[in-house]
Amino acid sequence: MDSSSHMASLPEDIITDEHLQQQTQPASASAFASVPQRPPTKSSSEKYAPLDWSVYFDKEDDVAIPESNDVFHVYTAGTEGPVVFCLHGGGYSGLSFAVSASKIKEKARVVAMDLRGHGKSLTEDDLDLSVETMCNDVLAVIKELYSDSPPAIILVGHSCIILLTIIGKKLLHHQSMGGSIAVHVAARRSLSALAGLVVVDVVEGTAMASLIHMQKILSSRMQHFSSIEKAIEWSVRGGSLRNIDSARVSIPATLKYDHSKKCYLYRTELEKTEQYWKGWYEGLSDKFLSCPVPKLLLLAGTDRLDRSLTIGQMQGKFQMVVVRHTGHAIQEDVPDEFATLIVNFISRNRIGPHGIEIPGLRKPAFSKP
Amino acid sequence: MGANSMLSESSHDLDDQISQLMQCKPLSEQQVRGLCEKAKEILMDESNVQPVKSPVTICGDIHGQFHDLAELFRIGGKCPDTNYLFMGDYVDRGYYSVETVSLLVALKVRYPQRITILRGNHESRQITQVYGFYDECLRKYGNANVWKTFTDLFDFFPLTALVESEIFCLHGGLSPSIETLDNIRNFDRVQEVPHEGPMCDLLWSDPDDRCGWGISPRGAGYTFGQDISEQFNHTNSLKLIARAHQLVMDGFNWAHEQKVVTIFSAPNYCYRCGNMASILEVDDCKGHTFIQFEPAPRRGEPDVTRRTPDYFL
Repeated sequence: MDSSSHMASLPEDIITDEHLQQQTQPASASAFASVPQRPPTKSSSEKYAPLDWSVYFDKEDDVAIPESNDVFHVYTAGTEGPVVFCLHGGGYSGLSFAVSASKIKEKARVVAMDLRGHGKSLTEDDLDLSVETMCNDVLAVIKELYSDSPPAIILVGHSCIILLTIIGKKLLHHQSMGGSIAVHVAARRSLSALAGLVVVDVVEGTAMASLIHMQKILSSRMQHFSSIEKAIEWSVRGGSLRNIDSARVSIPATLKYDHSKKCYLYRTELEKTEQYWKGWYEGLSDKFLSCPVPKLLLLAGTDRLDRSLTIGQMQGKFQMVVVRHTGHAIQEDVPDEFATLIVNFISRNRIGPHGIEIPGLRKPAFSKP
Repeated sequence: MGANSMLSESSHDLDDQISQLMQCKPLSEQQVRGLCEKAKEILMDESNVQPVKSPVTICGDIHGQFHDLAELFRIGGKCPDTNYLFMGDYVDRGYYSVETVSLLVALKVRYPQRITILRGNHESRQITQVYGFYDECLRKYGNANVWKTFTDLFDFFPLTALVESEIFCLHGGLSPSIETLDNIRNFDRVQEVPHEGPMCDLLWSDPDDRCGWGISPRGAGYTFGQDISEQFNHTNSLKLIARAHQLVMDGFNWAHEQKVVTIFSAPNYCYRCGNMASILEVDDCKGHTFIQFEPAPRRGEPDVTRRTPDYFL
């Protein structure tokens, strides 16, 4: 009876296998029936099935840039607080921040943009990943989202960090040019659009020293995938990610289907953008250090700082947190810890929806609350 | 006679350990345990504001750069011929945290009145697990027992020192919660460095050009301006605050119209920064002299294998 009921619920292909068994070895049919085997690919498929962005973000939008044919895809979450504006690394997409966004949105708003040539963004030249072009892209998106009254923005960058420092300076400059606002200079500084910088796992010195290896690293990746599930599985088992949930939502956006080859390939042809890589890192450390807002550097290991950042850290110029048990994509591998670090950074530096709410805690000596 | 005999024997053992350490050879795990037991007995009797007499030579961060510590002793004079005050951060970053902290603790036990060792923000369980001391202990001893022995001992290090009632010495800086030296004397320091509060501030804060208290960019402690340090110095009849914690390229840096000085004693910090180091000699007439020094000549660096880089675009 129990056996009969169990048999009735088995998938079709299992029954087929069972029939084959019956034909060849009738004596063992009953034993086989009581211990049905599930094919490993089925289990693998379920474990690595893609997840929709809507599990983590609230909304997605296409931002069309006026006077161009460029359209950038953004994911958003949260309704209150400053904006955590997320810029993913090369070869990733805005969904790299999906799992952590669902935590950050409890305290702040999140915007994660697909950069040129990545994710669902479509531009006239998807291979132009120069710093200048990508900076203009991000500033254009921010302008379309907020016109001339941007909220306080904490720029969070994973790898393409130099974008942060250049965009950050432009945001500061933009606000200072807002002559229509008749405010005190100090207050103007408090109302600056840029309120913080968070850098995720990149250091100029070590990056520059390692660029010569990158083409080899790119070519050593698995290149073709028969299904999205296979790509997700590879990214976790053989690639660079460690968190299955994050991979299930972020990896699909990094792929495209090749109809002629009948398989999935990487959406972003990073190997064709080598001419721009050096520009992503050259001068990065000094630009980061000279940006006059609170700064947080998140690293996956301690042996990564170059000379400038070692000096800057030891002079107390920025906060550094070494996150353990994670690879390069900290926001994917340990999303809860990443989100907590962002939220604590915002809280500690008193960043509200319109900037620093208590300007530098500049109180008279020993005043009591 | 028996007591004298035991003391003499103990001193002899200590001298052997110090000789061994001066050659940059680590003690055995058992020796470390015995050493730290003795150190704890001495340190638990010291004040949170430990009085120190001049003449004394005041030193900043060392960060495991043992050969540069040896250079410091060559330049400043051997202990106990020269009295020393070290303001914390003996471990992490450099390759020889084990030998560095072992030597300073051994000297403390051997000559307790001639060397004062304060606590830095790196004398902490949490920090040392990230920045190198823990991994170094594992590498050199095969287990974490020595790391645990030292980090338990760190809780007993005094937080600040007071030289001739005039020079206030500490690793980091001031705290909004601390107005008087008695405020410091009164709290229980035997604990892990907390994430915030007065004990955290003493080990993490930095002076600033801007007045008032500021949120420290480091993520812990505060920044404090000249108005704060003037008030604190006046309230406590101090002439100078000497502190470490910040890398300064010349090895020392005056602030707040020569009422606050930063001393950094790890030359070419992290074997890459190219900075000078310095120590501050306070003579028995209370004169101040900075002695700058450069890194010790490099022996071959120990083999710390560099990984092939991973994907980082």
